Amino acid sequence: MPRTSSGPEPVLEMTGIDKAFPGVQALDGAQLSILPGEVHGLVGENGAGKSTIIKILAGVYERDAGSILIGGSPLEDLTSQAVHELGVRFVHQELHLVPHLTVAESVFMGHELSRSGLLRRREMRRRAERFLSERLGAELDGEALIRDLGSAERKLVQVARALVDEGARLVVFDEPTAPLASGEIDRVFAAVERLRDQGVACLYVSHYLAEITRLCDRVTVFRNGTDVGSLAQLDEHSHREMIRLMVGRELGQLFPERSSEPGEVVLAASGLGDDGAFSEVDLEVRRGEIVGVAGILGSGREELIDALAGLRRIRSGRLELVGRRARLRSPADALDRGLALVPRDRRNDGLVLAMSAADNVNLATLSEIARTGWILRDAADQQARRMVDQLDIRPAAVDRPARLFSGGNQQKMVLARWLAADVDVLLFDEPTVGVDIGAKAEIYQRMAEVAERGAGLLVASNDTSELLGICDRIIVMVRGRIAGVVQRGEVELDALIALVTGGDAAGDAVGAGRHAEDAAEIGEQDR
Amino acid sequence: MSTATRGGAERAATLLPVLRRVLLTRGPLLLFAALLLYLSLASSAFLSMANLLSSLTQAAPIAIVSFGLAAVVMGGGDDVVAGGIDLSIPAAAALATAVVSDQLTNQGAGVIWAFTLAVLAALIVGALNVLLVTVVGLTSILSTLAMYATVVGVIRVYTGNRRITVDDPTMLFIRDARPLGIPMPVWVMFAAALAFWLLLHRSAFGMRLQAVGGNQEAAATSGIRPRPYIAASFLIAGVAAAVAALALVARGSGSSPGIDERLLVDMVLATFVGAAFSRRNIVTVPGAMLGAILVALMSNGLILIRVDNSWIDGFKGVLILIVVAAAALQNRRRT
Amino acid sequence: MTTTDTATSFNLGAWVAKYAFVAAFAGLFAFFSLRTTTFLSTSNLMNVLEGSMILLFVALAMTLVVSSGGIDLSVGIALDFGAWFVLIAMLEFDLAWPLALIVALLGGALVGALNAFLIVGLGVTPFLATLGTFFIGRSAQQIGTGGGGNVSFRGAPEGFQSLARGDTLGIPNALIIGAVVLAVFYVVLQRSTHGTRIHAMGLQDPAARVAGLRTRRYRALVYVLSGATASIGGILLSSGLRLYTPQAGFAYLLDAIAAVFIGASMHPRTRPNVPGTLVGVLFLGVLGNGLDLLGLDFNVKAALRGGILVLALALAFLVSKHSAASPASGE
Repeated sequence: MPRTSSGPEPVLEMTGIDKAFPGVQALDGAQLSILPGEVHGLVGENGAGKSTIIKILAGVYERDAGSILIGGSPLEDLTSQAVHELGVRFVHQELHLVPHLTVAESVFMGHELSRSGLLRRREMRRRAERFLSERLGAELDGEALIRDLGSAERKLVQVARALVDEGARLVVFDEPTAPLASGEIDRVFAAVERLRDQGVACLYVSHYLAEITRLCDRVTVFRNGTDVGSLAQLDEHSHREMIRLMVGRELGQLFPERSSEPGEVVLAASGLGDDGAFSEVDLEVRRGEIVGVAGILGSGREELIDALAGLRRIRSGRLELVGRRARLRSPADALDRGLALVPRDRRNDGLVLAMSAADNVNLATLSEIARTGWILRDAADQQARRMVDQLDIRPAAVDRPARLFSGGNQQKMVLARWLAADVDVLLFDEPTVGVDIGAKAEIYQRMAEVAERGAGLLVASNDTSELLGICDRIIVMVRGRIAGVVQRGEVELDALIALVTGGDAAGDAVGAGRHAEDAAEIGEQDR
Repeated sequence: MSTATRGGAERAATLLPVLRRVLLTRGPLLLFAALLLYLSLASSAFLSMANLLSSLTQAAPIAIVSFGLAAVVMGGGDDVVAGGIDLSIPAAAALATAVVSDQLTNQGAGVIWAFTLAVLAALIVGALNVLLVTVVGLTSILSTLAMYATVVGVIRVYTGNRRITVDDPTMLFIRDARPLGIPMPVWVMFAAALAFWLLLHRSAFGMRLQAVGGNQEAAATSGIRPRPYIAASFLIAGVAAAVAALALVARGSGSSPGIDERLLVDMVLATFVGAAFSRRNIVTVPGAMLGAILVALMSNGLILIRVDNSWIDGFKGVLILIVVAAAALQNRRRT
Repeated sequence: MTTTDTATSFNLGAWVAKYAFVAAFAGLFAFFSLRTTTFLSTSNLMNVLEGSMILLFVALAMTLVVSSGGIDLSVGIALDFGAWFVLIAMLEFDLAWPLALIVALLGGALVGALNAFLIVGLGVTPFLATLGTFFIGRSAQQIGTGGGGNVSFRGAPEGFQSLARGDTLGIPNALIIGAVVLAVFYVVLQRSTHGTRIHAMGLQDPAARVAGLRTRRYRALVYVLSGATASIGGILLSSGLRLYTPQAGFAYLLDAIAAVFIGASMHPRTRPNVPGTLVGVLFLGVLGNGLDLLGLDFNVKAALRGGILVLALALAFLVSKHSAASPASGE
């Protein structure tokens, strides 16, 4: 089997991997080769085959063709056990932790320490704490319950679990930082770098190209089910190259040109506060405007969006929607007043996955396609098709269950539902998380269109450069209060990041601006 | 909505939220405590040794079946519609009791043989549950409810719906002996509690069972296949039913129709009240035992102050609701 | 509605599932026909149909609740309250029987309201909430009847008695009422906006909430309606027997759950559905009737019934699992 380079034997070598599913060729002669002790990035748009090849490696899917060598030994029938024994560990995107177990129990899940059948609890606690501290730099209490931990800490527990039994030669990280806020990413980076220092190879799958550049020695780019290139010695210029390989073309502008005359005020908040997460929030959104809300973990940004969407109680202050006072107790109340949310966790809160695309799109406007409750099939069908068409949802199969669509298309489905409902205010919570770069551009385009058509948008995001690109105005929240409001064109990215991170360690700034290089390299950006 | 990052903000600790939290997490216990306090004041006999011992004895079969239920709930998860519950345990226990009584009295068999058959019978019930839940894929409420009905039907056929009195000397010994002044059935309960505690809370098996119940996907990615554990939990419940039969036969001097019904209410109450005793607010073995003792104390106490039988059931119903409502409200606050 | 979940459009796999179970049903039918002389007669089959009506109401109530993502273990209690209140209203409060019907429905709704309070108001899981209601309701009946005695009303008004025993234009009234309620449930659950919303709630509650559905309101209504519908069964029971026996409703609980799940197994996505529930109810009616005609001992019959029920459920689920179309891989 051909080697990518002469030299040390790769710890993982996958060659000529084919995998077909009904209707789609997910992998077509894909190759992946990882050298020992290197951090190897894997990037590609959704549907490019990254997750399929990882699942084949994990033993979840069976390949149709191709060879896999781990540490030089060929593997015919890949079972998760065999792969584990050969030293491959997985840190999946989903945490897979049990909320009511302790840190120590979670770390040792599956390889408990026991003597004649009984658990050695004190020993497990001690070892777990020590492992977390020495190998991952995390000081955690072994007896703490998972449900009481923050998301970065949970991630680290997950990593500890994958590695605690030692013997790891290759660790596969699948989007490890996606749920984390900027301030928390460093902890994961530190863990990865430490592993590299210990001679453990890492396969780092991520959408965040800046992280790839910072962490990885080499990166492989996937497109259309196969590898289309490999880069080494990564620097800022690699971004452009990576994106070009990923997308297969020069991506024009990521963010659309916008010029709109703001209309009437559709959302006015004064002195808004909840029970501790945020307070004294004054905020205004007009028709045609896109207002951003920036803030890291603990800034109150997430709680503010939840409160505006009716998911969280507002305890003080006044909220007006389209000129009328609003007291929201549920998202239904908010919708009644013309406000809707495109939530961050779209698979859980955004769409009813088991229902069809049509059902999901029509879900908020059922009364309009029915007569005294009886649903008019034609009207329903028409509306669904019209929205799918308008937003270019692919495939245009309105009867297909929502769960079978890609992340970007699912996001468009949620948007379609609100467009059909003709809302006045649209809240976006992390609109492009887990969405590949091609679909991101599309979503920004749609957002601009929605604003153009007269809605007021409020966009909350961890990604400061995204906000700079799409918003007219950005509100920065720090520790529960508004620290400043910034107009488009008034500020440079690094100054904004400094404001967002409250002027704290520069390390946070890298995290917060992790898309900065992508956007800057891709095209013009309104500054 | 994901809650992971929400907990970061510090809340100013004022008296009211703290009080509320305590009320919700330990509320049911406070309620029970208040109730017991009332009972001890209302009836002079309540705090007597005789009553306490009698309550402990009555608690024994409740506690033991509750251990079985605890195992199934641990493995199946808290979400009772989709998760784990075993309503057939009381029926299995009644079946085992009937088998033992019939063997001892009508078939002239020895105690060991009688109990071996009883364990077998209970395990068959457990195995059928396993089949329905893991192979066929029925939800556990449905399967175990169906099994409950079927087993009760079988018991009726088997016993002709009549009582079987047992006067086997070993059984009488178990009923009447009082090592250290404590009735034998209570010792059986303690022994069972110890065994189940070790199995479910101090062994690797138990920890994995908790993982399977807490998050099946999570357990699977740690290399733990859920099915064998869920299957095992139903079999453990079967064993619990058989052990409970020991206490039931002794207590009732045989087998009588309708034991299962009373046991069902008490078992559910004891197990779920027991969750309030644990730090993590999950169903546990020690919690179930304490829960059973509380339930028995309450039942006895109510009888002592001459509350009508019909009311007692309703009372227990209300209690279950309070316990469960408190737990639910507490969960809500957390998320 | 181009819905793939609530419409009754079956694909090949579901046809196989449907027919496999129906084949088993037919087998049972044949068995009874051969082994008894009276099973296959028109009058007997009519009896089965009429007799199934009570269970139908309880099962429809359960279908509604399970569709919304919950379960109602107190349907038997609601049935009992219906059966009880209707007689008491006439006997002790001298109400005209149509008014008594309303009182009975309110009785069922009351049970549902308690559930709604516990589940929506306090956030208790449906299983435990309705279990609690079951225990309380059971106790209430004991207390209310002074220890569990029957309430009999031999001299009930003709109009009332005709509900269960009379007919209109040659069709038994019970069947008419059943057909009407069946149609209403079908339309609401599978063809209306409300049905779609209820299914959305049952499938993924958080998403339904964010989509602006009034989930609390719907959920509360679902449980109240469940209680009211079950009480119709109780009314029919009292009408037919002119007698109320405490806790007679419990027997219907298991059968109702079984009917709903048998019905769900016949649906391409294993969702509860009205036509399927009807099939389940008829199956159970045939089963009970056949065993009765075989003249078995009471206890044996109960045991056999339970066993066959379990087998039928197992068969229905196994077949539906194996014939369900496997979804194409996601991304």
